[in-house]
Amino acid sequence: MKTEVSFKEGLFEEVSGKGVLVGCRCKQCGKVIFPIRKVCLNCLNRDMERLNLSRNGKLYSFTIVHMPSEHFQPPYAIGWIELPEGIRIFSQIRGWQEHSLKIGMEMELAIEKLWDEGEKEVIGYTFRPTLNRGGT
Amino acid sequence: MREVAIIGVGSTVFGKFPEKLPYELGAEAAWAAVQDAGITPKDLQFAYCANLYGGMVIGQAVLGEIGVTDIEQTNVQNACAGGATALRKAWWDIASGLYDIGMVIGVESITTSPIAGKLITPAKGDISGELGMNMVARFALSQRRYMDVFNISLEQIAKVSVKNHHHGCLNPYSQYKKELTIEEIINSRPICEPITLLQCCPSTDGAAAAVLVSRDLAKKYTNTPVMIVASVLKSGDYSFRWEDMTFSDMTYKCANEAYEMAGLGPEDIDVCELHDAFAVNELQHYVELGFCKRGEEARLIEDGITEIGGKLPVNSSGGLLSKGHPISASGIAQVAEIVWQLRGQAGKRQVADAKVGLAHVAGGEVAGLESGAVAVHILKK
Repeated sequence: MKTEVSFKEGLFEEVSGKGVLVGCRCKQCGKVIFPIRKVCLNCLNRDMERLNLSRNGKLYSFTIVHMPSEHFQPPYAIGWIELPEGIRIFSQIRGWQEHSLKIGMEMELAIEKLWDEGEKEVIGYTFRPTLNRGGT
Repeated sequence: MREVAIIGVGSTVFGKFPEKLPYELGAEAAWAAVQDAGITPKDLQFAYCANLYGGMVIGQAVLGEIGVTDIEQTNVQNACAGGATALRKAWWDIASGLYDIGMVIGVESITTSPIAGKLITPAKGDISGELGMNMVARFALSQRRYMDVFNISLEQIAKVSVKNHHHGCLNPYSQYKKELTIEEIINSRPICEPITLLQCCPSTDGAAAAVLVSRDLAKKYTNTPVMIVASVLKSGDYSFRWEDMTFSDMTYKCANEAYEMAGLGPEDIDVCELHDAFAVNELQHYVELGFCKRGEEARLIEDGITEIGGKLPVNSSGGLLSKGHPISASGIAQVAEIVWQLRGQAGKRQVADAKVGLAHVAGGEVAGLESGAVAVHILKK
């Protein structure tokens, strides 16, 4: 079995057996930001609190990419997922071949392999269409 | 603050020129601008050269070729807005009274650059880039939502490319001189859905240049100076990714400041060159530049209003889509087109009785921000 390494430290963690994205909330204006920053990008306050973000959101937009990237062979899907906290997360989208994507559809976070790097598996976050809520 | 005029412009033909080094392209455009202005190279007091991939101090190599040495020269990089940034800086150097006459050059040779044929990898620390974002995808994401939420059809977006390629056929400087149909554009190879190949600007080699002078000095050289009546440059904001990702807030703000500076409004614009790196951008920019209200932008293309012969011709040069997009040169090439239009020298693509023109560019991907830079210039004869 390959060694698993995190795509980048501090972006996500496991809570009760499920992965969550870790962001922060400004204690002054309430703006939620991901990934964690020392300064609020909205009001420049420097008093931020750590916040585990919702695992479910809605698809704001998506595209199927037909050009190669550093880590992904085409075609692959990416998109913006809007979380209830009022923040959009840019992410790889998985499960798009099985369930055609539609703006507004329910999406769910997964922590899984992003790509292989030699003997290592790089682990990160993705979103997939939510199936148990009658996702189309 | 002094008024500033453009008295000369020049450009290379745009295309792919593997046999020409960047400084050779730049020198060709610079010499054309010198001749157009009727000055001698030694008249120049300062210069800015915009370039992204040509290596260090390329401006000195460009002007060295035409015998301009021993002056203040600055090299500028602001991605696709580099040329417009050079113009903005040169405008201020004259407006402020520091100098009376100077040159701006924008030059790019993608074919001879280190990135030719290579995959553009994300900047270190750019999480989105690592996760598969790229420049086309960024606009494809905007286009997908724009189409679905605002009921813009792919045919309407393709029409922008049809129009600009038609204009390109009328421009001897254009990289592409080929008419396209809506079907050809929609059925071309998908790049990042719904963007297909023929909705994208090509990669281009080319250079453009302009000679700027104070209003007083302009009288010595010409009776028909073109005045720079507004020059605005802005960096991007985080708010774009929090709000409506189908609306360029930077363009909207730049345009409003430019109109205020010029004492003019969108209704006064007779001809416009805007940043159509992707066909969808043009429709979105109609709204942000104030040419119409949201929801009316498709009508501008459907009714031919933005074609040559229409009420407000946009991208008469062929735009980035057809004329081509030599990154740092585009902002100055746009201004060269506006100058030719205002002087009545635009040949087959001449816009009748054009008195006021607007040029708009946007450039540079920065994680989290809308874009690196947007510039708007308004010119008046």
